Amino acid sequence: MAARTLCAALGAALLSTTAMAEIATGDTSGMRIALSNNFAGNSWRQAMLKSWDEVSSQAVAEGIVAEAPAFTTAENQATEQAAQIQNLILQGFDAIVLNAASPTALNGAVREACDAGVVVVSFDGIVTEPCAWRIVIDFAGMGTAQLDYLAEKMPEGGKLLEIRGLAGVFVDDEIHSGIVKGVETHSQFEVVGSVHGDWTQTVAQREVSGILPTLPAIDAVVTQGGDGYGAAQAFRAAGRDIPLIIMGNRHDELTWWQEQRDATGYETMSLSIAPASAQVGFWVAQQILAGREVPQDLLLPTLVIEQDELDYWLEQTEEGGVTNAVYTLDWTDKMIEAVAAGEPVPPTPTAE
Amino acid sequence: MAAWLARTGVRDWLFAYVGAVTVWLVTVVIADGFGAMQTLTAGLGFAVFYVLVATGQMFVIATGPGNIDLSIPATVTLGAGVAMSVMAGSDAMIVPGFLAAIATGIAVGSFNYALIRALRIPPIIATLSSSFVVQSTAIWYGRGLSIKPPDALQDFTFARVLDVPVMTLVAVLFTMAMAVVLRRTVYGRSVLAIGQNPKAAHLAGVDVERTRWVTYTLSAALAGFTGALFAGFSGGVSLDMGAQFLLASIAVVVIGGTSVAGGRANLPGLWGAALFLFLLVTMLNAAGVGSGVRQLLTGVLIIAVITAAGGEQRGR
Repeated sequence: MAARTLCAALGAALLSTTAMAEIATGDTSGMRIALSNNFAGNSWRQAMLKSWDEVSSQAVAEGIVAEAPAFTTAENQATEQAAQIQNLILQGFDAIVLNAASPTALNGAVREACDAGVVVVSFDGIVTEPCAWRIVIDFAGMGTAQLDYLAEKMPEGGKLLEIRGLAGVFVDDEIHSGIVKGVETHSQFEVVGSVHGDWTQTVAQREVSGILPTLPAIDAVVTQGGDGYGAAQAFRAAGRDIPLIIMGNRHDELTWWQEQRDATGYETMSLSIAPASAQVGFWVAQQILAGREVPQDLLLPTLVIEQDELDYWLEQTEEGGVTNAVYTLDWTDKMIEAVAAGEPVPPTPTAE
Repeated sequence: MAAWLARTGVRDWLFAYVGAVTVWLVTVVIADGFGAMQTLTAGLGFAVFYVLVATGQMFVIATGPGNIDLSIPATVTLGAGVAMSVMAGSDAMIVPGFLAAIATGIAVGSFNYALIRALRIPPIIATLSSSFVVQSTAIWYGRGLSIKPPDALQDFTFARVLDVPVMTLVAVLFTMAMAVVLRRTVYGRSVLAIGQNPKAAHLAGVDVERTRWVTYTLSAALAGFTGALFAGFSGGVSLDMGAQFLLASIAVVVIGGTSVAGGRANLPGLWGAALFLFLLVTMLNAAGVGSGVRQLLTGVLIIAVITAAGGEQRGR
């Protein structure tokens, strides 16, 4: 282990480091991993649960773990999820993979789990408790990436409408800060209007419809995912020209993009987090149980769809769902290695 | 003047319109007169959905303290899913699709009433728990569902006459009909009588239980219908499309001048309140205030309108 870390620290020039990456092979066949999930009421979460189900049933069939059930709370409340975690500790799970209702409110319960010797791996909705592992998503990077793309597409700049997420939620603040930073870098762009679309198509449509009449011509719409199609509907209902709308990997958004591309050559990009991040959580937990040293803070890349990859990714997207990928143990291993070595994480895996 | 306002019941709903016009004028000033009419057009379009669900909620609330329908959001989502799968993108199936959505609502409403009556669960708990069942059904039903509405339905929801959405005109006719139902039919008078005093209504020969059943069923049927229409307007079904109607359906009823204590209700207020809520958010968005301040002002302005409407002593 020490030798590998040292090699990695010496730099990327030593290509042998990747060859030295080793998947922990400790016996986890008798162990049980639980998914503690705070919410299931949208298409992203539904896809996430399905991805978990896929990886867990396969892992159980192959004898990698004894069982890996998923538990979802009904009310999306931190108190309810804290009680759920305490139940999972009592039921003797070896690891809990956690999508948390709050970054801080579950810390007490997470601490209890750690003290009881349970491995806690948080992803998507991460927790700040130091004893837990975190699979961190670069949300601010999702904001800056949109402006970088726009600066390339329209070097002369333009007027932007920003659709934000749910007010008061960490993810919304992070993506927004990335967009603010992007506008500072590319100062030819100006945000002339901002609404909260709550990552919900119908809410985004309503909010954009409301503010649109008070705005000048919009060149592009920056978004957070789940809101792009609603924005397009609002522009259509208002009888306005449809600007470049950044999409968020939802099936309706990508379908609309494909239709527009075929009809008018419409160009945009789309980005979001693959719901299968739950699978990374599963493999990280499994590797820790198998005895591997894993850094507490891991990174997950954003799933970016560009114009020429649209057809491929739309095929990977379930009708009514979100674009998904499959994260294998091998991919997770490469990601852990890259993070440990301070290198960029590998891109989202594709089938080929 | 004040006496006339109180006697006719106009004062109950007048302030919702005063509020709506005020925030609209402020929006126009903020935007330097830019897009004044289009803002109103957008508001009239979205108000349709709020008014439809709030009509059902209003009848429920009017039947007295404790009566409320929290299953509306889930029923909207399920109604939308059922309607879209029946329509399957075909213009010829639009009417059967709407009928299926209404039938779904009737089933949910009857289930709500059964929980309240047979199991003696308070309405707030009964409709909340049934909303979990309905939402889960919608999630199960909605998996892998083809989500596009028929073109004719989508075109209808976008159609306008002189800047007024056609569906708004239809919905206004519907609310006028419901106003007649409330004021002039045995059912409507029964709702108000039960809301004032269920025992007295029973002794006066009103079939209290049947009226309650019809009311909860009406609310859910309207929610299902709204879901189908809303799916046409927003270009498909999404699992979270109903969530925004939970608090909105109640807020529209209360701001519109219906008494939460039951026994007093009016339909004109629903339009004023729905427009007020939509234009209020538009005004704050146009002013570019942050989300914290925006939520604060939303709360304060809603309290202001309700207080203005109910501040003086009510005459009967």
